[in-house]
Parts: sequence; C-alpha cells; structure tokens
Amino acid sequence: MQIAVSGGKGGTGKSTIAVNLAVALANRIEIALADLDVEAPNDHLLLGVELANEEPVTQFMPKFDYSKCTRCRKCAEVCEEHAIITLKDGTPFLMPTLCSGCRACEIVCPVPGAILEGSRLVGHTYVTETPYGFPLVTGKLLEGEERSMPLVVVAKKRAQALNKDLILVDTAAGTGNTVSKAIEDSKLLIAVTEPTPLGLHDLELILELGRLMSIPTWIVVNRADLGDVKEVEKLATKYGAEIVAEIPYSEAIVRSYVAGRPIVLKDGPEAEIFKGLADRVAEFLKEVI
Amino acid sequence: MQIAIASGKGGVGKSTVTASLLYFLKDEYRLIAVDADAEAPNLGLLLGVTEWEEEREHVGAKVARINPETCIRCGICHEKCPHDSIKLVDGDYVVNQLTCEGCNVCGLVCPVPGTVTLEEVRSGVIRRATTKYGFPIISAQLDVGRPESGKLVTEEKEWAKQLMKKLDLEHMIVDSAAGIGCQVIASLGGADVAILIAEPTPASISDVRRVYKVVQHFRQPAYLIINKADINPGFRALREWAEGEGIPILGEIPYDRAIPKSMAMLKPVVEAFPEAPASRAIREIAEVIMGEILK
Repeated sequence: MQIAVSGGKGGTGKSTIAVNLAVALANRIEIALADLDVEAPNDHLLLGVELANEEPVTQFMPKFDYSKCTRCRKCAEVCEEHAIITLKDGTPFLMPTLCSGCRACEIVCPVPGAILEGSRLVGHTYVTETPYGFPLVTGKLLEGEERSMPLVVVAKKRAQALNKDLILVDTAAGTGNTVSKAIEDSKLLIAVTEPTPLGLHDLELILELGRLMSIPTWIVVNRADLGDVKEVEKLATKYGAEIVAEIPYSEAIVRSYVAGRPIVLKDGPEAEIFKGLADRVAEFLKEVI
Repeated sequence: MQIAIASGKGGVGKSTVTASLLYFLKDEYRLIAVDADAEAPNLGLLLGVTEWEEEREHVGAKVARINPETCIRCGICHEKCPHDSIKLVDGDYVVNQLTCEGCNVCGLVCPVPGTVTLEEVRSGVIRRATTKYGFPIISAQLDVGRPESGKLVTEEKEWAKQLMKKLDLEHMIVDSAAGIGCQVIASLGGADVAILIAEPTPASISDVRRVYKVVQHFRQPAYLIINKADINPGFRALREWAEGEGIPILGEIPYDRAIPKSMAMLKPVVEAFPEAPASRAIREIAEVIMGEILK
C-alpha cells in the first residue's frame, strides 16, 4: 500500500506534511517514508538524521568496440535522445549526459559484442533508520545529471523491498512524468497547497494529475491564514477532492523545521492537526485494506 | 547578458525576488523575462500577465502505445521497459502515458510488427506576453505527466533570444525551476551569471550547494541572495559556505509578512509595499546588481 504527498509548486510544505505524518503514523502501522524528491531531497534534514546505507545507482551506457562495429548507424538512428552521433564513415560516438540508459542501441545492434556494457553513476539511494520507529528511503541525483527518472524508479523499488504495510511517498515539485512515477501505485494522493493565487494555480495541475491517474485526492491547506480557503474549496469541489486539514502559518513549525525535530512530537495545536490528519489516514487505510 | 536565478529548493522566494528585481531593473535596462519553471510557472502571474499574446504548441514528447488487438501478451515489453512504465491491466499490457519516457525500447523488442507505435504528443505550450511593466515575458507550461521539461525550457530561451534581437533588448533574466535536473540545467546553460537564492535553513543550504555544483560545471560566476535571513538566528552555515566558496553575497532580505501579502495581491512586493523592510532590502540588492553585474 502506498500514499503520496505532492503539491505542484515548490515550498508549499510537502516535506513538512510527509515527515510529520510519517512520525504520527509510525506507532499505529509499519511504515516507510520514501523521499522521491531526488533533485532536492530534504526529509532526512527535517528528521535530523544522517543518510545511511548508501547504494550507488548506475545507468547503462553503451561502450563501442570499434574493432567489431560495422558503422551501420542503426544505434544512432534508434536513439530517441540523439545521444549517439556518427562521423561521416558511420563511426558512433556517445554524448554521455544525453544517454538515458534505455539500451535501444544495444537491442538493434546487429553485431554481437560491438556494443559493450558500460555504466555511469547517476546518484545514490539510502535507507536510514530514524529514531521515530520507521525507515526513511531517499533517492539523491548526482549533481550535473539531468535525468531523475532512474533515481525515482530505483528508490521506489528499494522502499517496496522493505515490505512495510505502508509506503508514504514525498514527491518533487511539479507535475512532470517523474512526479507521476513517484505517485504511481498510490491508493491516495495528498495534495499540499497554500490558499494564494499562485498556490491555487499549481494545485489545479496536481488535481488534474490525480484525476488522470484515477487516485482519490485529499487537500491539505498549509499556511491557511495567508489567503482565502474558499477558493481552495471551489477547486476541491471541481475535482471531487476533499480538504482534510488546514494548518495556519506557525513560527513553531518554522522552528521545528529548522531544528530538524518534527513538530508532531511536541504538545500544541500544530501537533494536534497532524495527529488528526494521521487519524484520517489510519481510517482510510482500514477502509481500503 | 543572460542571468539565471536558481535555488535548488522550491519555496525560498525565487519568483518573488525575481519579480521584484525585474521591477527595479526595468527602468534602467531593456529586459526580457523567462519563466523556466515549466512545471509550475508563476512569474507571469506575479508580473500582472492575464492574457498571453502568442502561444506555440510544443510537440516533441513521444509516448509508446500498444495495440491490444495484435498484442500476443508475451510480456517482453514489460520486462525490458527501463522505466517500469508498462503494466498488466486486466490482461492487457498497457503503457502508462504519464510515466513513459518515449525511448521506444518496447517497440524494438516487440515480436509482432506494428503492435507498438511511438506517437509524438504535445509536451506543452510556450507563451509570450507583455507584462504590465512593458517588458516581454516568455513562459512555458508542461502538460501534466510529460517528460523532458528541459527541452521546453531550451525552446523558451531560443524564442527569447529571437525576441531580444528583434526588439534590441539587452538582458535576459531566467527564473529557473526547483531542483537540479534537466529543467535547471537548461535554465543555467548559456547564462553568463547565476544568482542563487537561499534561506538560512539546513534544507535550503543542502539544495543550494547542489545547484552550485551544476553552476560550477558551467564555470559561471555565481552570486548569493539570502532570503528570510532572520528566520533562523544563529545559523551561520549559509554565509560561511558562501564565503568559503568565494561566492559574493548580494544582500540579505528579512522575513516579512509583506511578501505573502503581496503575492496574494499578485504584485511584486516592492510595488505593493515599497517601504516594507523586504522591499528596501531588495532595492539595495537591485542597486548592487546594477553596479556590479550589469554595469
């Protein structure tokens, strides 16, 4: 079972919600938190833990054996990323940063052994035990690498291999296909937004993504006192989504965020909101299972 | 000159600061703004754009489709898909259009010719408008679930360059997306200078360090603006990192409720609340940029 926290725009509080929800759920259910914001993973900082159990993520890269290559150009023709260029005589060269590692070139190459198995490090995954009773799985793209898809796929598989009852996924900002990949397989999408015109603009995109993926969607309104929640309600009605929590702007949340200590562990109104949200999620899980 | 503004982490105030800097720079220079956050474009909204004057569809993404009529259910496409995008749904192998990267490996391994087709689909739109401040803006919107937002950003910048020539403009200011992937690399590529924005939190410093490594790949001079500078008293790591790397700090902007208020009004804070502490700080930063970078 998987649930995803996403939100379109950056900085709406996705990670804050995901981390606090994970802590609040951990004493009721076996859970893993998966930080799939591989370009800017921060959940470990919010939880105050150092990333551990590093595993490299490598990607296939063709290596040409020029003594066998017949200069037929098939590899270059089939490469959708135009990562393989050929000289006048057909000799292929790879531009590594464009290569997606899909192996299309290897599949079409007519000469066995002309394309050899090369590989390139594109990032790492981590499984970190937290002091809150659940493991954190993190994907982290190497700086300079363009493609986050392989990291999302591998980190997600590593989270699934832990065999927990629930994987709580924290996605990147945006609504591109790597966010869809992170959300895929979720039974519930929790969209985090602010009730501002910019927040609403991006919320609509993530609600659209939820609709296209046929995933029931909840909305958490963060910094709810910064704007008009009625506008969020209109969008929620349009997409058949439900507002399940409103979190006011809170200095205490900012302080806990900075200190790397989840606010749900403290007493106070903010903690109660997260516990209430965890109750709702726990009820939802009972209904689905 | 081309200036790219980046942060790594989302929500540290990139678009807010960019909109406000543009507001000051517009009186001194002939500018074009590029919103390179194609997955969540907001700069146009902040600059008062309500209607786009020209829109170009970008057809460039490809997605695979499997014809269930001829498919023999051998499953080799499912097995070979490098991105795990083919699933068995009610007995049929189906490509998830929202996660497919368009590599066509499924088409190459399929034993039945014609069963898998690779279709060109719309990846999004690129738009042009004149802001209410008189300078043009190019913005993009990636369609939900499409790959390769970087290609869209590259197209945007091409269009911006043509406009710069046509309208005899001096500077391109690029507001990049969160993260460090293809969109951000396309935003930074070709820029003369990178301005990084960060806040004094562990998350923001972690992300700005990562985007700075990308900047170093391009060997671009970088500058730093510290936003929400007072939210975390005693946090010295951001300033120390910048000093250690030799990244000049253009200025600090205090946390100011005027900023979210101005965003709700869809105005740059420096226009909505010109005397707010944040606005005064941004004005000083704009002066430094004019004196040291755009001189």
